[in-house]
Amino acid sequence: MRIKFERSGGFAGMLLTGLFNLDQMDEKQSRELRELLDQADFRKLPEQIVSNAPVPDQFTYTISVETKEWQHSVITGDTSAPPELQPLLQTLSKLARSQAWK
Amino acid sequence: MHRHPLTCILPPHMLQAIIENGSASQRDFAILTFKASEQFRGQRVGLTGLRAAVASLVAAGKHRTVYDAQHGSSLPGTKVRDEGDLPSGDLAVDEAYDGSGATYDLYSDIYGRNSIDGNGMKLDSTVHYQQGYDNAFWDGQQMVYGDGDEDSPPAQRLFNRFTIAIDVIGHELTHGVTQFEAKLNYSQQSGALNESFSDVFGSLVKQHHLGQMADKADWIIGEGLFSSNVNGVGIRSMKAPGTAYDDPVLGKDPQPGHMKDYVNTVNDNGGVHINSGIPNHAFYLIAMELGGFAWEKAGLIWYLTLRDKLGATSNFQEAAALTYQVAADQFGPDSLEQQAVSKGWAGVGIDATATTPPTSGDGCLSQMLRLIGAAPAKSTRRIDAD
Repeated sequence: MRIKFERSGGFAGMLLTGLFNLDQMDEKQSRELRELLDQADFRKLPEQIVSNAPVPDQFTYTISVETKEWQHSVITGDTSAPPELQPLLQTLSKLARSQAWK
Repeated sequence: MHRHPLTCILPPHMLQAIIENGSASQRDFAILTFKASEQFRGQRVGLTGLRAAVASLVAAGKHRTVYDAQHGSSLPGTKVRDEGDLPSGDLAVDEAYDGSGATYDLYSDIYGRNSIDGNGMKLDSTVHYQQGYDNAFWDGQQMVYGDGDEDSPPAQRLFNRFTIAIDVIGHELTHGVTQFEAKLNYSQQSGALNESFSDVFGSLVKQHHLGQMADKADWIIGEGLFSSNVNGVGIRSMKAPGTAYDDPVLGKDPQPGHMKDYVNTVNDNGGVHINSGIPNHAFYLIAMELGGFAWEKAGLIWYLTLRDKLGATSNFQEAAALTYQVAADQFGPDSLEQQAVSKGWAGVGIDATATTPPTSGDGCLSQMLRLIGAAPAKSTRRIDAD
């Protein structure tokens, strides 16, 4: 399973990206990500979970998940993302940030 | 024609009646006129009652409340400090309180505007939003601030808390003002203008708070936001767009300061935080050309343009032409101020004199008639906010 993560916008307007191959990463971390995907019921989320008008300075997130059997992408923002998706957004942001250091 | 509010001789009793009985924007206009007359003419005789009316109205409008999200995503969170409460001892809470106060003061004291909506709207802020949230935003009703990437190891931290910079607070609140006035669409050039107006007034909040002249200001947006691990002075530079940071992890500040470097991108709603560098730099050039306190002339031109002229789909060219028109309205055609405006825009590759935006033959009489509701509002603005 692969997760492609992109966070754009925000006050600073900086693009943050990350690519995570769950079959090749630390087992504890990959288990956490799978749990967070389940918790959000990710596969069943609509492709666009956004507010009618863009919220100034809010982050826009694009998460694409790819497995051998299926693939699904979701675009959302801080205030429009459902509560059960928030932990995944925060964890992916943190992982992408630490990836940027490498 | 010279159409500064103070050249419209509205008698004090009429101003007072408008302040007491008028709609939000009528009151704004009357207060602005009153303040302009007092500020520029030293006209103090016979205005005592009026000044008291302005003071009480403005004082009644400042109401700040700060909430704590306790690192969750629910808004607004738990109330921790209300207007008039003593400092809480929590830095983020107290900075949000003080910064929204400084923003309220600039709009109120200088432009006669009673809060975000011109009608005393409460200033709500939420701090400690989420974990590792390196951002701040305006959600349409309130300000929201994260603590930076406080969940990263100290050696990898890039950001401090987002309340640390007073101009960030002014920036977020100005998104509110724009939402109630020009309603600039948040994408492409209108979005970059929306961002730029937030940077301009964010910087002016800081300069006003510090009592700085234009040539003493740093013109940096978000000074102090970066941790010491980052090679940068702030998020954006209005003085020299593209130079605020250059860092191995974060990359280089991508802002252009001239139309020839305009960035076309699908990210960030079409680069609203990137191309805002162009109008940002135009404002800087105009403020420096005029000297003195940037909020007095350049800021007034920008404020009136945002309030009365710009619309949802305005682009850079229209904004330039409208500021040029407002400069003539306020200071006279071919005044030094109007010349500074065209010079500043020319410095970023935009000819402010190139097009004539729609006008309404807006003289003293029609302005007054519209004020009391006897003439239709111009197509590009709404006189009555109610």
